[in-house]
Amino acid sequence: MYLAEHDVVVGQDLSVGYEKHNPLITNINFEFKEGQIIAINGASGIGKTTLLRTLAGLLNPVKGGVSVFGSSTIRRGEVGYIPQRLGLIRHASVYHNVMLGAKAGHTSAWFPFSSICKPVSLQAIESVGLTHKLRTPIRKLSGGQQRRVAVARTLAQKPRLILADEFLAELDEETLIMVMKKVLDYVKQNNAIMVLVEHDLNRARQMADRLFTAEGNKLVEIFNEEDEVHE
Amino acid sequence: MNEHREKYELEEKPTPFLNAWYQWRWPAVFVTLAVLAVMVTHSTIEGNWQKLFESPRNVQTFFRESLWPPDWSVLEPQAYPVCEEPKLLEFTCSTAWIGVLETLKIAFIATVFGMFISYPIALLAAENLSPAWISYPARTFLAAFRSLPSILWALLFVIMVGLGPMAGIMAMTIYTVGYLGKLQYEAIEGVAKPQLDASRAMGHGWLERSFGVILPESANNLISQAIFMFEYNFRHGTVIGIVGAGGIGYYINLYLDFLQYDKVFAYVIVIFIVVLILDFVSKVTRSLFKDDMTKKMHPFWTVLLPSSWVQRFDEE
Ligand SMILES: Nc1ncnc2c1ncn2[C@@H]1O[C@H](COP(=O)(O)OP(=O)(O)OP(=O)(O)O)[C@@H](O)[C@H]1O
Ligand SMILES: [Mg+2]
Repeated sequence: MYLAEHDVVVGQDLSVGYEKHNPLITNINFEFKEGQIIAINGASGIGKTTLLRTLAGLLNPVKGGVSVFGSSTIRRGEVGYIPQRLGLIRHASVYHNVMLGAKAGHTSAWFPFSSICKPVSLQAIESVGLTHKLRTPIRKLSGGQQRRVAVARTLAQKPRLILADEFLAELDEETLIMVMKKVLDYVKQNNAIMVLVEHDLNRARQMADRLFTAEGNKLVEIFNEEDEVHE
Repeated sequence: MNEHREKYELEEKPTPFLNAWYQWRWPAVFVTLAVLAVMVTHSTIEGNWQKLFESPRNVQTFFRESLWPPDWSVLEPQAYPVCEEPKLLEFTCSTAWIGVLETLKIAFIATVFGMFISYPIALLAAENLSPAWISYPARTFLAAFRSLPSILWALLFVIMVGLGPMAGIMAMTIYTVGYLGKLQYEAIEGVAKPQLDASRAMGHGWLERSFGVILPESANNLISQAIFMFEYNFRHGTVIGIVGAGGIGYYINLYLDFLQYDKVFAYVIVIFIVVLILDFVSKVTRSLFKDDMTKKMHPFWTVLLPSSWVQRFDEE
């Protein structure tokens, strides 16, 4: 397929799903630009996670194609994915988990060691307020604390594209605002792109520049800050 | 979406036949199995059921005349070489002690080597890490190691490297790689998908994924499998001495040849006690590597029960 420019994430005539003859979301087109935060909502089981996994290169599109920063394959460190179930290593410490992100972002696959990883990880853990849990294994943390570790892992990675699947669930109001602000600041400061799945419409509007909703087999854009400004 | 749900509900609609099937399938399976077993037995022993009913009496006679009482002289120091231990430690010069210790050593070395060799192969064999054209050959490789019981490997190595524990170590290592490798790749395939998803999306390389993600995530399983394997290797290590590959089996075989069954019986009791102790130790050690350490310890005699019974205690 045609590969888009190097600073955008593009879906072209994209259909995603697990079965060839029964795609979940069909024929969608989008172009996400640097600095944009895109929220997706929609009913449970409609295919939001499936779409994120396709963007992360974990699932081949049923039809059409995705181009992430001008490439159809994912390059090391460019994409930070926070799965719905977090994907933390339960038996390893907070530090180990965050280091995995830092290594992906700051080293090469052939030599995954660099002196920069440690300070970057510690800073990310600090920013989500978990320094006192540095050596605690994940399985001993509360649900909300685990979410914060997953966020720290992605922040330490410094990816250009963040894919976050309901990453604010289970957090109390105060922590939620803190974590949300950290991530949004990161995206704006580094001119990254963030695609997030968020059920709470108000919060989605508050965070995102663009809001899509999945309905039936379609992805409908229901809100775009740029348009509002231009009008 | 809705179409799916309707189709699903249709399939679930109970019919009298389905109801009866759900209610009776397990009894039916067991009755069928029992009948099959009796039929196969009948054809195997060629209808000679008489023998089956005579055998308990034979066992009784053999037990009274040849096995009982066990000859505990196997715990006394050997005549040669002369024992230089103090009186209290004299039993360490006995054939039972020397034999058991050698079997333990063989089992330990084989388990450690086997574990390090099998992990890389298990990584290749795991379907969630490797494409089919790698994982299937790796599995076949492991299966080949498993296909012969350790005693046949021992026989082969005795022929190749001569009598003694070296042959035993090599044989047990080979078998351990095959067996432990299978347990390991199953543990690796049990690592949850989101963990691998996150790692793949980040772009981790093979090394980072194998040792940074998979290893810590399945470490508890790997360790408790290795302990299980050690226990298993000890039990099977008692046999490989029979073909001359070292350990207590050597002495058992010796006295079997001399028809001194009361001594053999003493060895069997010693082995039984060591197995009980190992069972207990391995259970305690493995419980340290469980997810929920709050689980209460079981009294030591539960090693005599099937583990499913023991688990039932927990639920109550
Ligand atoms: N690995 C899989 N293989 C096959 N089908 C799957 C798989 N994972 C999910 N599905 C199916 O795909 C559909 C969409 O799943 P998906 O996880 O994308 O939903 P979702 O929109 O994220 O829902 P939720 O809001 O509940 O997380 C569901 O019907 C689900 O059963
Ligand atoms: Mg989902």
